[in-house]
Amino acid sequence: MNLEFGRVALVVLFALIPIAGIVMGLQASALRTRIPILIGVFAGVIPILSLYIPKQFLSGQTGMSPRLDQWLIIVYAFALLLGVVNVLQNSLRRIRRREKGWPFSAVLLTGLFVTGGLGVYGAVSRQGIGYRPDGSATPFQWITDHFFQPLQSTIFALLAFFMASAAFRAFRARNTEASILLLAGGLVMAGRVPLLEFLAAPFPPLQPAAAGASQALGKLTEWIMDTPNGAAQSGIIIGAALGAASMAIRVILGIERGYLGVGKGE
Amino acid sequence: MAGFVEKLLGLDRRWIFLLVLLSVATPIVFPIGLPVTTSGPTRSAFEYIEALTPGDVVWISFDYGPSSAPENDPMAEAVMRQCFLKKVRVVVTALYPLGALGIANNVLAKLNAEFPGLRYGEDYVNLGYKDGAAAVMRRLGEDISGAFPTDANGRPIGELPLMRDVPDIRHVKVIVTVATGTIGEWWITQVRAQIGTPVIIGPTAVSAPKYYAYLNAGQLVGILGGMKGAAEYEKLLASRHPELAGFYRTTHTFTATKGMDGQTVIHTVILVFILVGNLAYMKSRMKRRGA
Repeated sequence: MNLEFGRVALVVLFALIPIAGIVMGLQASALRTRIPILIGVFAGVIPILSLYIPKQFLSGQTGMSPRLDQWLIIVYAFALLLGVVNVLQNSLRRIRRREKGWPFSAVLLTGLFVTGGLGVYGAVSRQGIGYRPDGSATPFQWITDHFFQPLQSTIFALLAFFMASAAFRAFRARNTEASILLLAGGLVMAGRVPLLEFLAAPFPPLQPAAAGASQALGKLTEWIMDTPNGAAQSGIIIGAALGAASMAIRVILGIERGYLGVGKGE
Repeated sequence: MAGFVEKLLGLDRRWIFLLVLLSVATPIVFPIGLPVTTSGPTRSAFEYIEALTPGDVVWISFDYGPSSAPENDPMAEAVMRQCFLKKVRVVVTALYPLGALGIANNVLAKLNAEFPGLRYGEDYVNLGYKDGAAAVMRRLGEDISGAFPTDANGRPIGELPLMRDVPDIRHVKVIVTVATGTIGEWWITQVRAQIGTPVIIGPTAVSAPKYYAYLNAGQLVGILGGMKGAAEYEKLLASRHPELAGFYRTTHTFTATKGMDGQTVIHTVILVFILVGNLAYMKSRMKRRGA
């Protein structure tokens, strides 16, 4: 067995210490929150250190940080499982109690089991979940093509109707800020499509002028997107990143404990 | 007049819905063929891929679902057509959980029919879906097999000749993420910023504005913003590759260029709605002040 330092350290930090913590937690209740915080500290500090300390055991191909990345992918898969369990619990409760709209829960569960079952069948039978070599669809792909995709598209397509209705009823120049937003939005909407050419289509003499004006409007739109929008977006992104960094520091230092389910820190 | 304004403000929304339906459906049934002008972010994306040489590898990530497929599908298809035409090899992944893999399979099936000589494993591979997009991206910097041990059909990627030339994401010339939501942003923050592989993004129109910050910072090669960006790309493809000009002129399948007709009409209708709604609102406000 290859006893690399990074591998041993990971086993100690994420297996032995948690196990010892669980055992000790049975005796001393205060330790029950300390150990998860310690694990959070290790998981948060190792990737940061790996960026600044170019040591094989930290950032090498089989170092601690890449291994944590690998674990993260596995943890994400378990998060999916949690989602499935949550859907099952809620839907089954609704069906059992015959709550309002329970048939929808039954449809949801049927969809979950049929689609999931066909996915598992595709994996077990080794035919996959896409198309077979002869070009025919596997059962999972068939469900995707004939149920999932049309339903998702339909739901999203409804948005166009509500957006148009909202534009008519809610997009109003009530004050200066709203007026600036309205003007910028209107210009971008007009500049992103050949609107002037469309309006000039029934009037051939106007078409060259419309094409020229459309080009100018397109350039104005690009300027709006590039300059004021780009600057504002940079500010928002930097602000959000600083917020995320400060939250990460709070978690690493054990100040933020909301994720433990024991309140929002001390 | 005052009665008309009140009537307008209280217009039954079903009339608006009907108008929207007609505005979108009519240009699909009777195409107008409106012109498309190209913009800088799309041109730089196109020129970057155009400059690649045969054998180079482009990573195309399907990071969207069926809900935004009419905007995103034409982008993915156009970029892949360009790659296959130029004999650039393509690695396909899907990191969006809601149906991205199904869409990737469909697009690949469509492109296989258009380019019958394509060989799976040599000209392109489909690595499929993997959960945990940001974690997957981080892992790609170390070794691709760590994140995708097998392709979409369960075949070990070591058996695929293409993947032997691409041990990690650094060996890819450019990543094209066709994205809805935040996954596109993660390609920039996790891969472009930390590993250095260039990124082109094809976002939906609604999320395109935020990517201009990354474009200005030099962290993006280009942006294909919404259906307009896809239509621009199709126009550039058609102007540079005569064989594709014929295809885009005659194809019966949906293209962004065709979609732009409907988008133009609906934009016009919504702008008219905004204008009329505001005029009616101002009129009623003036009336209230007068009273």
